[in-house]
Amino acid sequence: MPSRRHFLAGLAATSLAPIRGWAAVGSPDYLAAALFPDGSYRLAGLDTGGDILFSLPLPARGHAAAAHPHWAQAVAFARRPGTFAVVIDCTTGTEITRLTAPEGRHFYGHGVFSPDGSRLFTTENDYEAADGVIGVWNTDDYTRMGEFPSGGVGPHDMRLMPDGQTLAIANGGIETHPETGRTKLNLPTMQPRLTYLDVSGTVLEQVELPRALHKNSIRHLAVRRDGLVAFAMQWQGDKAQHPPLLGLHRRGETLRLLSAPEAVQSTLQGYAGSVAFAGDGSTVAITCPRGNALHRFSVADGQLTGVFPLEDVCGLGPGPEGYFFTTGTGIVGELTSGPHISARPDCQWDNHLIPIRKPA
Amino acid sequence: MRILIAAVAVALPFSALAQDRGPILSDVVERHIIPGFASLADATGALTQAAQTDCSPNSPDLRAAYHTAFDDWISVSHLRFGPTEVDDRAFALAFWPDTKGFTPKALSGLISNEDAAVESPEEFAETSVAGRGFFALEQMLFDPKFSDQGNEGYRCALIRAITTDIDDNARAINADWGDYATALIQPGDNALYRSDDEALQELYKALVTGLEFTGDTRLGRPMGTFDRPRPNRAEARRSDRSLRHVELSLIALRDLSARLSVDHPEIADDLDSAFDKAIIRAQSLNDPALAGVATPRGRIRVEALQQAINDIRTIASTKLGPTLGINAGFNSLDGD
Repeated sequence: MPSRRHFLAGLAATSLAPIRGWAAVGSPDYLAAALFPDGSYRLAGLDTGGDILFSLPLPARGHAAAAHPHWAQAVAFARRPGTFAVVIDCTTGTEITRLTAPEGRHFYGHGVFSPDGSRLFTTENDYEAADGVIGVWNTDDYTRMGEFPSGGVGPHDMRLMPDGQTLAIANGGIETHPETGRTKLNLPTMQPRLTYLDVSGTVLEQVELPRALHKNSIRHLAVRRDGLVAFAMQWQGDKAQHPPLLGLHRRGETLRLLSAPEAVQSTLQGYAGSVAFAGDGSTVAITCPRGNALHRFSVADGQLTGVFPLEDVCGLGPGPEGYFFTTGTGIVGELTSGPHISARPDCQWDNHLIPIRKPA
Repeated sequence: MRILIAAVAVALPFSALAQDRGPILSDVVERHIIPGFASLADATGALTQAAQTDCSPNSPDLRAAYHTAFDDWISVSHLRFGPTEVDDRAFALAFWPDTKGFTPKALSGLISNEDAAVESPEEFAETSVAGRGFFALEQMLFDPKFSDQGNEGYRCALIRAITTDIDDNARAINADWGDYATALIQPGDNALYRSDDEALQELYKALVTGLEFTGDTRLGRPMGTFDRPRPNRAEARRSDRSLRHVELSLIALRDLSARLSVDHPEIADDLDSAFDKAIIRAQSLNDPALAGVATPRGRIRVEALQQAINDIRTIASTKLGPTLGINAGFNSLDGD
């Protein structure tokens, strides 16, 4: 592992040896964290055929990752309430450096780069104040530049809007504290929000669910090219109720909630893991690992267009003909008119599948 | 044909074969759950009566009734599904942890406005959950901050309103368990639980999350960090009940775990001796409000108790869960 000084010295030499781009690593299409059969937690680069192009060890269980828009660099985030994030050089398979959350903060597991790649934004918990914050890091040397409020409690997933200037944040609403593990501390009063901030931290718009759904934690996001946001939820209320787990929102408009018919919705155990738009943007889907199913909806009219039984399915991303998905049983697959298994390596894929944006 | 059947059989977890869950489900419901909530409803009835007779915070009868009813709640507080979750009943009975100090704020607000909601149970049930339940009552009875705030007559009405509301919630949960018991014992395709496995999973989850809450939250919150212990965050410390809650919850969870592991005597023995160790540690602590976490010596003893609870959790998750054939995937268990 290169030392920090070594890394900084390396940076000074970048004019001589430019940092290599994604093509240098055999062009992975996705990043995903997994538990490997030797017991190690690793971040893997996958192509659309399900081949693992590289895999790099993580200090503990991962959650999601962020891919640098140009350089073959990725940041893998700890599962909450972890305090590490590992910056990985995907050409050499080595750790470039490690981000440590500042005193009083822990990561939630998600982050995004700015469009030019110069900044990294991370969702974090200011746990003494029980408020969400967004950490801002300079990607030249991965030093922390500052932070600003996330606009709610428990920020989890975060996406950059197509304008490159706006962050969409899933403020899940649930208060936790590292001293009490993953115990949820505020369910009766929780208030999830979909928050839009500009990259300097100014609140542009706050979207809340109807009061009766205040226990529906907004956790994961997907953004369509035209700025339509999809959000996946996790129900913390009475399990006899089966509220929608997917919503759509466009800036300045009211939100739409999408659900399967009650008899099907009731099999999901109130839990959606990931959300994505199809490659062509015409449909949107959620993965439901507790219900062992993938649900697909038409964006235009919100109708359910497919229910696909898949055991422990969770990772989900857009594909040219629909979607790619991964499961906790090792499957890497593609969903077109139906699911197809591309590969099934001997590992357990963790929650998310992160598409790598390729320069056009 | 025989070969085909054998092939199918090995594909299933061995423990899932021909396990009849029915007797376990009935036993847990009839001997663990129903008596617990029935006892709670009796005790909250007595608590309401005591407050009607004498609403003085120092009344020995009122305080005794408070302790008895609170004991009964803690003994069922791991059963957080179904009837307890309707209309936030469990939170209305016990709003803790209160990380932002909502309970004293809610009580002060009611007292300073002399809010008339205390005169109608229906209206009081619409007020914030933070100002209701056992923790609100505890502050009214034991916190000097509320002993002379506002008007004495109003404080008396508030104490009575809180006890009536506690009783209403406890009785509603107890009544709903009549139907819910059937749902849990007789799963079906269109029912709340579609199979015996799902029903058993609910009970197993109650055991695991109950252990987690007692270890991580009941002990973890006051422990804080070594450099910054938080004795003022101990549960129900004002009435010296913090350690008692740990002990009572462990006793109730031991009963549940024994019933769930009844068909697997080795695991049952392991669990029972792990519970024994933890309960003996709790009983020998002699630190009712867990104030000892503030000293290094006291903290080590509380840490040892927490470790003993973690040992039970390990047996439950590595032995009992897999043996019961609880199907939980890598992602479906993650909760993130």
